[in-house]
Amino acid sequence: MRAVDNVSFEIESGAIHCLVGENGAGKSTLVKMLTGVLQPTSGTMTVRGISHTPKSTQQAREGGIATLFQELHVVDELTVLENLTLGLEKSWFGFQVKSDLDELVVKTLAVIEPSIDPSARVSTLSVAQKQILEITRAASSGASVIIMDEPTAALSEREVARLFTVIRRLKSADVTVIYISHKLDEIFELGDAVTVFRDGKHIATKPISQISDRANLIEMMIGRTVFQQYVPRQIALGEVILTASSLSNSILNDVSFDIKAGEIVGFYGLVGAGKTEIARSIFGADKYTGSIQFKGKEVGTSPKKAIESGIALVPEERRTQGLFTSLTIRENIPVMNVGKVSQNGVLQEAVEIEAAQKYVKQLGIATSSIEKHTEKLSGGNQQKVVLAKCLFAESELVLLDEPTRGVDVGAKTEIYDVMRSLADKGTSVAVFSTELEEVLGICDRVFLLYGGSLEEEIQNGKDVDIAHIMNVVTGGVEHAAQ
Amino acid sequence: MSISVKKDKSTQEDIKMSNENFITLLVVCVAIGVFLFASLLVPNFFQFQNMVNLVTNNWAVISLGVGVTFLLVSGNFDLSVGGIVALSGVLAVWFAQSIDGANALSSGGGLPTYLAMLFALAGAMAIGGLNALFVVRLKIPSIIVTLGTMMVARGIAQVITHGSQRNTNLPDDFGLLGNLTLFGTTIKLPVVLMLSLVLVAVFLERKTVFGRLTYWIGSNPVASKLSGIDSSRHQTYLYLFSAAIAGVVGILLASEFKSGFSNRGMLMEFDALVIALLGGIAIAGGFGSVIGMFFGAIILAVVTSAATGLVLSPDWQFILKAIAVFLAITTQTWALARRNR
Repeated sequence: MRAVDNVSFEIESGAIHCLVGENGAGKSTLVKMLTGVLQPTSGTMTVRGISHTPKSTQQAREGGIATLFQELHVVDELTVLENLTLGLEKSWFGFQVKSDLDELVVKTLAVIEPSIDPSARVSTLSVAQKQILEITRAASSGASVIIMDEPTAALSEREVARLFTVIRRLKSADVTVIYISHKLDEIFELGDAVTVFRDGKHIATKPISQISDRANLIEMMIGRTVFQQYVPRQIALGEVILTASSLSNSILNDVSFDIKAGEIVGFYGLVGAGKTEIARSIFGADKYTGSIQFKGKEVGTSPKKAIESGIALVPEERRTQGLFTSLTIRENIPVMNVGKVSQNGVLQEAVEIEAAQKYVKQLGIATSSIEKHTEKLSGGNQQKVVLAKCLFAESELVLLDEPTRGVDVGAKTEIYDVMRSLADKGTSVAVFSTELEEVLGICDRVFLLYGGSLEEEIQNGKDVDIAHIMNVVTGGVEHAAQ
Repeated sequence: MSISVKKDKSTQEDIKMSNENFITLLVVCVAIGVFLFASLLVPNFFQFQNMVNLVTNNWAVISLGVGVTFLLVSGNFDLSVGGIVALSGVLAVWFAQSIDGANALSSGGGLPTYLAMLFALAGAMAIGGLNALFVVRLKIPSIIVTLGTMMVARGIAQVITHGSQRNTNLPDDFGLLGNLTLFGTTIKLPVVLMLSLVLVAVFLERKTVFGRLTYWIGSNPVASKLSGIDSSRHQTYLYLFSAAIAGVVGILLASEFKSGFSNRGMLMEFDALVIALLGGIAIAGGFGSVIGMFFGAIILAVVTSAATGLVLSPDWQFILKAIAVFLAITTQTWALARRNR
């Protein structure tokens, strides 16, 4: 399968060119090729008339292409100036010598963002200011193209405005900006042209002026995608088991919802919409204001209490948050319910082995033995071990944060089956996902999130309006209100 | 794209040896190999009594190694054990010395022996509590905290002994525990205690929830928290456990020599760390075993006693230890990488 297939388009010099498409549409792969992380199997790239065939990010930078990554690469302990010249210092036998580099950098910074003091410590800057720092570094090193991948994901509204000013100044300095964002409003506000990707294919490249409205853009993004048909479950839902009212914290903004026994609910939104924060709040891992009642009682303030009350979480990052990679499958599974495999503090090995064998079989974990170290399993099988951990806890509410990220299609289907059979037995399941197909494939009810707010609740079924959902999760509701 | 989910027929049957058992076996083989090699070079080395001596002479450091091993597996260091050995020994002697000595160094608390030893143990565990407080509650890296408490413990011992030792005016029964021989043999009580401790530790490590918690916390602290484990409480227990062992070792040594010496147990914390690493315990946590540590201690003991047997000057001991450590750790890393390729 190809992540990007036969893509051809042109970007005008000195323009702000936006790339849009759903998750997995091929935007990131394209960026990786431009920056030398991946090499195309066929085809050519040309930057300002010169053939561009970078084998590394270093070579891409020499070819004039710089990238602003989502994670920031600045050193908090150093000053702005020191950060800007980091790695470019001139030295003489290990001693730093003054160069005219400093002057150049200060000049560039003054053009791009005069309000930042070059002698300020970077730790005192905001996230947006740090991004501007990285942009300045790219610009002063002579980059003619700067790629920005979701630069506003972690920014407040005021900071976004500040970043946009900088991007416009870059444009007037004849720097080309390739701007990737899920937030469609930003594209209309900022972009000169837009390229739409879908399933690794180039759909269209048009000037923004030729796109009539959001609906037009969304239509190009989703096309006539055929979703796996949702089958309404023939099960009577139970009582409300969880009620959340007015959840707020640094990300969430007055979120209220409820979950019934035996129901599969989905929380759908883009990266940064607040899905993980809702899951972690229910699980007692994050702080919040407001109230979450589970079976009539306020949920605990720690994961330990949440698990004891009957809630389990499959966390977002399986390797860093879910799995004990230096231990075996058998040793991983009982962690959330140790009491079940022990008596007076002594482990009952027979019970443990039986449980491990049961889950290996039930979830189809492909392994030669339950004594295999989980670091040696594939991503999909690791995810199944994390799932087995949660199932072993025998909870009444299972929260799954991005349960199928990086998992192959076969394993995905099996994970969905497990979720359905859980719900059929009366367990409530909450899925937090950035994949619309996943959410619409299995959930009975879907909550749409944007920017930390719960925008809308929809009942899943035949008449689901995908274009409308896309509109909501990309901020269309606020857009319409303006 | 093809959907292929392999459902292995022999899913459960062929249970292979775990990496842990593999490394432990390797350490045992290396220990035997080193012993045989030393027997070739050193006259009279290959004798039963010598094998026994390799274990009995090292009871103190092996005991300390147990606590250090559990902490390493949980992802923490304990460098304070040597200092605690000195402190608890000095405290026991000081508390037991009669109050009417001729000078400051020969008069103490005048307590009965058993009370003096109990209070000394409490003093040792207070250092363990201090470790737990700084590491667990204040989240300061354990290597820094225990380096500090190592000096605190030894510092207190030095103040109490005025930089030397206390060995006068002690009740007669103070020397009993450390010199008691059992079963009509020459084997002393501390050695038997050490062997029992190792057995208990192996049981704890492999068969109990306590042991498993240690591995979970060391393997992935974040996942432990998200799986509902109270890692703060467990790490506190581990530090108290390690300090208690070191306290008992210090008291037994003080009893054996009928003296409280502020320099006792010097560098023992490093020996305990070295035998744990020789025994295959991962410094990153989540991996290793007490048996491995035990045979790590044997490797170190063979190397040092062979050096003495070869009439090498004691000055060479550190170099030999260093060579043994580098060889053993390189072998392990290489063998594990090869196995998991």
